[in-house]
Amino acid sequence: MMRRMGLLVLVFGVLLMGGLTEVAMGQSLRIGALYPVSGSLALLGDESWRGAEIARVMRNQKGGVAGKQVEFVKVDIPDVNAAKSEAERLINREGLKLLTGTYSSSLCLAASEVAARSGIIYFEQGGIADMITGRGYKTLLRSCPRAQYFSRAQIRFARDFVAPKIGKKPNDVRVALVHEDSAYGSSISKNVEAEAKAGGVQLVSVIPYNKDAVDLSSVILKLKNDKPDVVIGVSYANDAILFGRQAKELRLDIKAFIGTGGGHSLTSFQQALGAAAEGVLNVDFTQFEVNVRFTPGLKEFVEMYRKMFNEPPRSGHSLANFTGTNILLDLLERTGGSMDAGKFRQTAAAFELKPGSTASGWGVKFDDSGQNILADTFIMQWRGGKLVTVYPEGPAVMAPLLETPFSK
Amino acid sequence: MELFIQVLVSGLLLGGVYALLSVGLTLIFGVVRIINFAHGELMMMAMYLTYWLCQAHQIDPYLSVIIVAPALFLVGMGVQRFIIQPIFDSSALMKIFVTVGLFIALQNLALMLFKADFRTIQTSYAMSTLEVGGISISVPRLIAFCFALVLLGGLFMLLKLTLVGKAMRAVAENRVVAELMGIRVQRLYLITFGLGSAMTGIAGALLLPFTYVFPTVGAIYTLLAFVVVVLGGLGNMAGAFLGGLFIGLIESISGVYISPALKEAVYFVIFILTLLVRPQGLFGVGKGTEEVGLK
Repeated sequence: MMRRMGLLVLVFGVLLMGGLTEVAMGQSLRIGALYPVSGSLALLGDESWRGAEIARVMRNQKGGVAGKQVEFVKVDIPDVNAAKSEAERLINREGLKLLTGTYSSSLCLAASEVAARSGIIYFEQGGIADMITGRGYKTLLRSCPRAQYFSRAQIRFARDFVAPKIGKKPNDVRVALVHEDSAYGSSISKNVEAEAKAGGVQLVSVIPYNKDAVDLSSVILKLKNDKPDVVIGVSYANDAILFGRQAKELRLDIKAFIGTGGGHSLTSFQQALGAAAEGVLNVDFTQFEVNVRFTPGLKEFVEMYRKMFNEPPRSGHSLANFTGTNILLDLLERTGGSMDAGKFRQTAAAFELKPGSTASGWGVKFDDSGQNILADTFIMQWRGGKLVTVYPEGPAVMAPLLETPFSK
Repeated sequence: MELFIQVLVSGLLLGGVYALLSVGLTLIFGVVRIINFAHGELMMMAMYLTYWLCQAHQIDPYLSVIIVAPALFLVGMGVQRFIIQPIFDSSALMKIFVTVGLFIALQNLALMLFKADFRTIQTSYAMSTLEVGGISISVPRLIAFCFALVLLGGLFMLLKLTLVGKAMRAVAENRVVAELMGIRVQRLYLITFGLGSAMTGIAGALLLPFTYVFPTVGAIYTLLAFVVVVLGGLGNMAGAFLGGLFIGLIESISGVYISPALKEAVYFVIFILTLLVRPQGLFGVGKGTEEVGLK
């Protein structure tokens, strides 16, 4: 009898506590924020989170969303297992109805799978793998460009800008691809092959490598053997630096090197390589040396970043997540704070902004797969120690310059 | 042909790096019989120390060896005295768990202290090369290669010519008998662990000019060092050097002529095959020596 009474008290207790937290939660809109802030993805994961956090703080200062303050339940997801279990915890234990993140595509694929199973909206702001929106989930939205947009921009640049400059016909320009072989690099590799074919450009070699390698001399030597004009690279932070150093040591002679976001956009890349980084091109999410008429809100973002973190932004990942979170909060404002998946998705489908009207210069238009098709990638170049937008003309602040990279 | 020579040269230079990072491990392995999974973390500590000396005090990484080596000697002695020695008589498995624990603790401590950023130092010679008949040779890698040779030579002399060295070899061969002969085994272990750590420290300092340091870098080096050491024959100094060169060459050749993504697969397959045929490693003396000996 006593045991039964005890059980009863326990059950009531749990119900009561549940009820109480329910009331307390009514004061704010709680969103799960999943980012890798430890482990090997920590640097860019943390940078991504900072952007989202700035958007949240700025919005709260202006009165929040639908009259409520926005709160992030931030969790660290250093690997795929953590992404899956933390997403489960946020949904089942914390009772969250909206998740966002993630910077890394593999982490996003794992976490959004859990959200889809529970019928909860997953709003991705940094993972670019095409598969994320390719699975047909009605609960998934992505604010940032997907991988294919990067490859399209690179091939276009090789064909329309490099080929005429070096006196070759568009289909004579030799392109090679060097990519790290995780989900990030591999998804891009397929796109480059497809875009090269579509653009009528010769892809002379495709070289995968492991991002944790301590030596990339064999990659460089293979390139020397294949003699490309343009090398497209897909790297994380450390391997981008290693490639640059060894390309210089082994005197790799090419006309242009175009990175694909990630490592080649980091200030640490430029600091480590110094003059050797000069002239390296990169296609990426919007960076900070960009035509400000095309990116309203960028200045305020940078000021706020300095105020909150006492340093300038470390890469454009924060800006992408700042823009993404702003789009997310705009959508929440329009649903009146409702996180119901059906309603949220409907609102998103009806929401449109023209290119050049967000801090990243992106527009907003979500297609049936949940992809923002007006999110765009630009080509940038390291010039005088700064990563400057050079192509296409809209967001560009100066014209691109062709010179052998990693040679100084 | 020029490309092939360049591939060989690059492979040998890389092999020198691998040899350098394995020397300390093989010494500790051979004498103390500890499978030290925190080996790479000692190297990581040395690299951060070198980084700090260079950034904050403008001490050249090659010069900083005279500070880093003694510092790591002390760290190594500390690890042996306070972590390994208390559990020395427990099972081998227990010792592995302890070093794995140390590896995780040090890695996370570094993440907390230094954050996850990749750090590199700027030196005038970081990317300088020698050019010989169209073949480029990276200067800092060449220096690392030469240091690996010098370290090995020094260690070899120490083992053959000094009393401490003789004692080390005696302990490696039979701990109990060595103790009966009056060798103070625990003190010798302290010295050996310190010496092995100091060598690992030197490796860290020499690698920094052409690579980078981040909190999880140790795990990569630990795995590599184990492959090199086991392939070369446990406790065999010359074997560690040749094993390093062997792995470097395989990596370079398979990277260029097969695929860089498969180079780890290639050398692990060779690693497994070698151990199937010669369990004592490529340069081990004969059957049964996989368990004893220090050469």
